[in-house]
Amino acid sequence: MAVFELRTPLSAEERAEKRRLILRDSIALMSLFLITAILAVLTYFLFVSFSRHRDVLARRWRTSGEAALNSGHPEESIQDLHAALEYAPGNRDIEIELAMALAAANRNAEATAYFNSLLEAQPGNGLIHLQLARLAAKEGNAALAEEHYQNALDGTWQGDGYVKRRTVRLELAGYLISRKSYEKAQSELRTAAGNAPDVPETQLEIAGLMERAQDPADALEIYRAQMRHRDAPVEAFEGAGRTAYMVGRIAVARESLARAVAHPGFASQDEITRESVRQMLADSIRILDLYPDPNLNVQALAGRIATNAKIARARLTSCFANTNAAEALAELQDQWEQIPVNLTVRMLEQNPQLEQTTMGLVYGTEEQTAQVCGAPTGDDALLLKIAEMPLAVQQQ
Amino acid sequence: MITETLKGLFKSGAHGTEISTPDLAKLAPTRDERLFLILSIFIGVISGLLVVCFRVAIEWIKILTLGSAPHGGQYRLLLAPALAGLVVAALVQWFFPGARGSGVNQTKAALYIYNGYISFKTVIGKFITSALAIGAGHSLGPEDPSLQIGAGVASIIARKLGLSRQRLRLFAPIGAAAGLAAAFNAPISAILFVIEEVIGQWSAAVLGSIVLAAISSVVVARRFWGSEPMFRIPTITLRDNRELIAYAVLGVVGGLFAFVFSRSLAYLRPRLHALPRWTQFCQPAIAGLLVGLIGFVGFPQVMGPGYEVIDQAMHGQYTWDILLALAALKLIATTLSFSSGTPGGMFAPTLFIGAMLGAGVGSFEKLFFPHLTGTVGAYALVGMGVLFAGFLRAPLTSVFMVLEMSGNYSIILPVILANTIAYLLSRMLQPVPIFEVLTHQDGLDLPSMEEQREETPLHIEDALQPPSVPVILGADAIASVSAVVNEARASAFLVRLGDGSWYAMTANELTGAAAALSPETPVEQAVKADRVPTLFPDLPLDNALPYFPRWPLLPVLNRANRGKLEGVITLNGILKRYQSV
Repeated sequence: MAVFELRTPLSAEERAEKRRLILRDSIALMSLFLITAILAVLTYFLFVSFSRHRDVLARRWRTSGEAALNSGHPEESIQDLHAALEYAPGNRDIEIELAMALAAANRNAEATAYFNSLLEAQPGNGLIHLQLARLAAKEGNAALAEEHYQNALDGTWQGDGYVKRRTVRLELAGYLISRKSYEKAQSELRTAAGNAPDVPETQLEIAGLMERAQDPADALEIYRAQMRHRDAPVEAFEGAGRTAYMVGRIAVARESLARAVAHPGFASQDEITRESVRQMLADSIRILDLYPDPNLNVQALAGRIATNAKIARARLTSCFANTNAAEALAELQDQWEQIPVNLTVRMLEQNPQLEQTTMGLVYGTEEQTAQVCGAPTGDDALLLKIAEMPLAVQQQ
Repeated sequence: MITETLKGLFKSGAHGTEISTPDLAKLAPTRDERLFLILSIFIGVISGLLVVCFRVAIEWIKILTLGSAPHGGQYRLLLAPALAGLVVAALVQWFFPGARGSGVNQTKAALYIYNGYISFKTVIGKFITSALAIGAGHSLGPEDPSLQIGAGVASIIARKLGLSRQRLRLFAPIGAAAGLAAAFNAPISAILFVIEEVIGQWSAAVLGSIVLAAISSVVVARRFWGSEPMFRIPTITLRDNRELIAYAVLGVVGGLFAFVFSRSLAYLRPRLHALPRWTQFCQPAIAGLLVGLIGFVGFPQVMGPGYEVIDQAMHGQYTWDILLALAALKLIATTLSFSSGTPGGMFAPTLFIGAMLGAGVGSFEKLFFPHLTGTVGAYALVGMGVLFAGFLRAPLTSVFMVLEMSGNYSIILPVILANTIAYLLSRMLQPVPIFEVLTHQDGLDLPSMEEQREETPLHIEDALQPPSVPVILGADAIASVSAVVNEARASAFLVRLGDGSWYAMTANELTGAAAALSPETPVEQAVKADRVPTLFPDLPLDNALPYFPRWPLLPVLNRANRGKLEGVITLNGILKRYQSV
């Protein structure tokens, strides 16, 4: 490289000196270039080796952190994931896992701060909104939790967003149920049911939540739809029986519960569930025995009414004797006095008006005594059940 | 090893001959100037490579000594910095005494005292001892050492190429900028810092080379670390103008912290330094033990430079109370490490404390005024600038550093507001900047960059006087001129010549001309061949001083109309003006 201009008039000795200077500078610059190149190569190998080691460490600590989180050691997981992030800064998945670990360790403020900062980078990330919703729910901030749940439903998801959104919706419904916001929960569950595939596990989960959201009627529809499947699970029969019983459709309940008990899977249910199903079946059968079904022949109908009247009168007498609420029951007592004490089947057969009046009085007695003397038991409880929705009992 | 090789090669290239400066000036008058630019690039590249190696060395040492995931309760957190402190102290005391202390001050000392000389031994020593100390957990940063390593590389290269002393002196800041730029991954901030804190003033002679070196080193560093800033910068917005109140609060908090930090160092460092010499072998070890203790009890974040912690704080991963605790503990840890004479810098700790304070204020505000705040990251970023302005007292760099790191100019208003408050508050509480305090403690008397920056140089207009002397045209006859001069009793007067130039003639000169020439002769024929220099009111006043031995007074002209005389300046007037400053 010509660094100097060769134009000044110089003596021969000076020109020789200048040539030496040019040579010296050229060699110096070449040497400098060579040294730079060697240093660059050394640095490259050092850096590559270092980067590989960092990657190994990041993977190792992430695996360790995930294992700790899954095994219920969030504090340990936090340390490991922090270490992993140090060697893989900016790795979004590790960051989310770390925030989840913080939340699992009940370090809610830190977790919230962490998720909020992640959200700033990815405002529409459904998973982050879901985690923030859970944290807000844990902190008791219902409005914020619902807002984040909604944002999670509207947000973006990696993988099968359809399934993940449904899972979020069901979680939101569960949260709303826990807050006793049943109407909102029912709305979410109806949306979920409308979009969910006809897969027993999913449908049964939705139906179960509907039961908890005080919507047994819709739950019953789902259970019954599942019952129609070949190899329908026993839970579908149990659920149908249970919800049908709840809505007063005792005939359906009896049928469903009977099929549940006969189902091969019934034996694998836990004892409490089995006992509950059996009891509900027995109650359903008894209710149908007590129910004054208009389709019965005249004699059978009159017989049932007479039996019911006897039960209700005994309940009133007992309640009257055991409480100081004589005034509240006085009117009822007066009405019973209009009914012959020795009411017979024949009397009822001959007087349909008396049948109707008697059954009305039976229902009224069970309802009022339940209010005054507390929840009834035995046949009284079953009559009260009929009284709540008498027309639904035989509805198919 | 590299420099030894370089030395050998250069020697063989030079054939063992030395060329004196006058010879060089004759043989190759533009050699230095051209080499200056070429070498700037080499300095940048080599500095960049060395800084990459330096950072990798720190990381390796950290993994080897503190483990890959240090956390509270590990005994190695106590042992590693203490043992490293012992080794570092021995190395500094026995082999590398020049590695002790701040790289910024040592570079300034090289520039102002040692003609740009930084020894190879110092560069090696700084590299080894700083990497060991920082890697093992001492609360110090790699930027200062990087700056000094860059300056040292520049000094070595310039010396080996036999550049003039003047050029040699300029190379130190060029290397410093390259080293700092590579360490920061922010060339503009590095350039500004070197100008603000090392050179003290803008100098066109060196600016081009500084920029070349800084850019070269950053290109090299980014080849390895990537073009991302050192911290992942979150979304930065100013959502509500009321947020400026919070930024102002941050400025106040930062200014107070900067004061406490400065005072802590100013108090502890000279006291430790004054202890018997044998204690200096164990001071870094004790400091390391205490810093390790902070880590051991649950705050390992304060150990080392803490970049990843800054990153975490910037992304809202700590609560406000933890952030403030970290800021306070880092202040203590850095004061201990630095005061003990452990080699390493204060840039990273300053940024760490600033980021923690910023994120703390941001988190606090987010907690209590959730609808008012921007991101916590924005506060952390501004916080870094705040402490940079308040503690290191580099206001211009502090603003540009934040802008360069964030790449977002929408944050400029909060940055300027908070930095200005912190800077003014810190200045009010601690008039002497920390770098100056440290140089005084080291027994040096380097120029104060803050004072230099604020000096207002005098201009010719400051000493300008109305033209009280006669102003004569060159065509006027000597006789009439003599009459005018005699009447005015002037010892000198101005002659405006036919070609538009001016001449300042003394009365004695006129008397001599009158004796030698006829009275009708135009006065312009009596003047000598030289002319007074063309001066304008806005030129620096000291520009005029060299002309006074020759001229009794100097005319000052109007730039738009050179025929118009604005006034005159005299030596006496200039001296009076300087005396009145």
